[in-house]
Amino acid sequence: MNPKIIAVDFVASLKGWYRSRGILFWSLLFPIMLILIFGAIFSGVGDTKYTLPVQDLDDSTWSHTFVGTLSNISVFNIEKLSVDENVSAYVRDKSLAGALVIPKGFGDTIAESFIDKNVSINVSFYYDPSSNSYSVLQGMISNTLQEYNMRLSGGNHIIGITQESTIGKNFNYIDFFVPGMIGFTLMQTCIYGSIERNTKYRKDGILRKLLTMPITRTEWILAKMLFMLFLSFLSTVAITIVGILVWGMTVNVNLVMIVIIIANSFLFSGIGMIIGRFVKEEETADMAGGAISFPMMFLAGTFFPLEQMPVFLQSFAKILPLYYVNEGLRNAMIYLDFDKAIFNMAIVLVFAIVFFVAGVLLTKWKED
Amino acid sequence: MLEKTVSCPNCHEISTFYGEPGEVKKVTCPKCGTLGKVTFARPIPTDGVAIEVSHLKKVYGDLTAVNDISFSIKKGEVFAFLGPNGAGKTTTVEIIESIRTATAGTVKIFDKDISTSFNDVKENIGILPQEFHSFERLTVRETLDYFSKFYKKRADIDEIIKTMDLTSHKDMLYRNLSGGLKQRVGVAMALVNDPEIIFLDEPTTGLDPKARREVWEVIAGLRNKGKTVFLTTHYMEEAEYLADHIAIIYKGKIIAEGSLDELINKYGQGSILHIKNCSTKDALEILRDRGFDVHTEGNGDIAVKIDYKERVLEILSLLRHDCVEYESISIRRSNLEEVFLTLTGAKLGEVEA
Repeated sequence: MNPKIIAVDFVASLKGWYRSRGILFWSLLFPIMLILIFGAIFSGVGDTKYTLPVQDLDDSTWSHTFVGTLSNISVFNIEKLSVDENVSAYVRDKSLAGALVIPKGFGDTIAESFIDKNVSINVSFYYDPSSNSYSVLQGMISNTLQEYNMRLSGGNHIIGITQESTIGKNFNYIDFFVPGMIGFTLMQTCIYGSIERNTKYRKDGILRKLLTMPITRTEWILAKMLFMLFLSFLSTVAITIVGILVWGMTVNVNLVMIVIIIANSFLFSGIGMIIGRFVKEEETADMAGGAISFPMMFLAGTFFPLEQMPVFLQSFAKILPLYYVNEGLRNAMIYLDFDKAIFNMAIVLVFAIVFFVAGVLLTKWKED
Repeated sequence: MLEKTVSCPNCHEISTFYGEPGEVKKVTCPKCGTLGKVTFARPIPTDGVAIEVSHLKKVYGDLTAVNDISFSIKKGEVFAFLGPNGAGKTTTVEIIESIRTATAGTVKIFDKDISTSFNDVKENIGILPQEFHSFERLTVRETLDYFSKFYKKRADIDEIIKTMDLTSHKDMLYRNLSGGLKQRVGVAMALVNDPEIIFLDEPTTGLDPKARREVWEVIAGLRNKGKTVFLTTHYMEEAEYLADHIAIIYKGKIIAEGSLDELINKYGQGSILHIKNCSTKDALEILRDRGFDVHTEGNGDIAVKIDYKERVLEILSLLRHDCVEYESISIRRSNLEEVFLTLTGAKLGEVEA
């Protein structure tokens, strides 16, 4: 064994490592970034608390006792709602998993149950079916009620529960997931397609050749954008068809959805162009694309709702374009909440104009 | 109709043949029956300039990549821009192709200043950029179709495929072609608009000798079709084989320019014709009387310095006329390597500018 050769090889490897931004990113920055992101997302898992708004319409000693029992359960963070609050709207607006309503007559029914064991009353559980945590919340409330019934009557079913979706229809996770998946797929397609055109084609001399041919840059960009739009709609149709056929989704196709998809293609193609302008090497540019799209995928509510993340990350998500794409598609395609869909669409359009114009202005075919 | 007088490589019989410009004719020696080919090169029109470069300069910070160079290229000639890696060849050709912007100087193509009228000449030029790779998942035919569709004037794609000897590969994906075939496709792509001028930037770099020779034949064919070819290369044998006119660039400056013969005669040691085992006394007398620089090499061998290759035929005719017998002849010629060595003190293949 020749230590000199080993040392020479070690130094050469070290130089190769720190001179390659791509390898540097994957071997050092990316793992750090992942640790930070996942750490932030799941940091609260061990002591998770679920916010449970409770509207007490009975306002009796028994209802106060019941709310007190719920408060004593450590995972619940009870918020008391006034009697004139619209519970469904409150859950939707605050992006909560659910809320509980104690009906009028709650105390009287319990008092009566000591004489007549057949009386019963239901509390109402309003929930957001697109939230991953509503079922956890529902399970914990059911367990609490069961225990409460046991203490009151030794097991008679005095207090029951009725459930009501806050979005009018029984949506489930797949309804939430599919629009997110469309947004994410289109983002990936457009970013990487744009990066390929601006790095690989530059390296291979294709852009240089085009520069000497009777085709303008505008023509080339428009031709490519047309193709990206085709791919975007193709992906949307494919994903949606799977959602309908496999999961029985009900999807609404409308102008807002179409505008969001078009704007989304321009938006992320623009981001790809900007990456391609500043990162010349193809591999490194791909990594840069990954560094932008991968965290955005997790943070923009693609696979799980924002409320599962810490508050500061929820605020951060709201500056990410993909968040508005995802929310816009959900509201337009699934929830049919067009006020929100149009609001999201407007924001996506603004992002699209800014990034695409910046991308076109920054991209150049000429060499220095 | 052109006339060409050649000496048989076997029996040295001198014969005259006739052919059309650009024709490659199969011939037979009338004396010994040896088969051969005679190329009737298309004469270079001297009345037109295809490209004119004046005082071109390109500066990057402290580095002057191209330093005040001027040259012109006649219509129909193969112009070789020869120099080591980093000499400024690609920078120059990319300025002419309007891919880069010059710091100073002017470039005219067909008398049009490219800084203002490049769009007017796009239809008349075809380029093969350095280290070019086309779309990997298109076939050869699809690739040529794709690039041809940008032009108003289109060549016959099937004819190009045939000329480039790509017929058996036309349905193969570009990614599956060998390096030599990819370069041939690259050259073919530069012809899809039937251009007047073809720019080939290092077309044979990285190819094996066989593939390189194949590309050379393609370029030689372009010359015979009357195309103007701007060829950048760092292979001296490529320039020697293909070029009508050579400019040698070194450290951003053109250090020599001319035809191969002119460069060799000016900067090389010239060419020496060795005549083996001849009647020395008679031969020396005859050739010296006609002004040749001639000396004996012992054993009945003599060496004659020749400046133009046509003079070989003149020498052989003289010896034949005076019935001087000899065993064989050979020519040792100076080459561009010697020229470059004389000019720079370094070998072309061993220097990075």
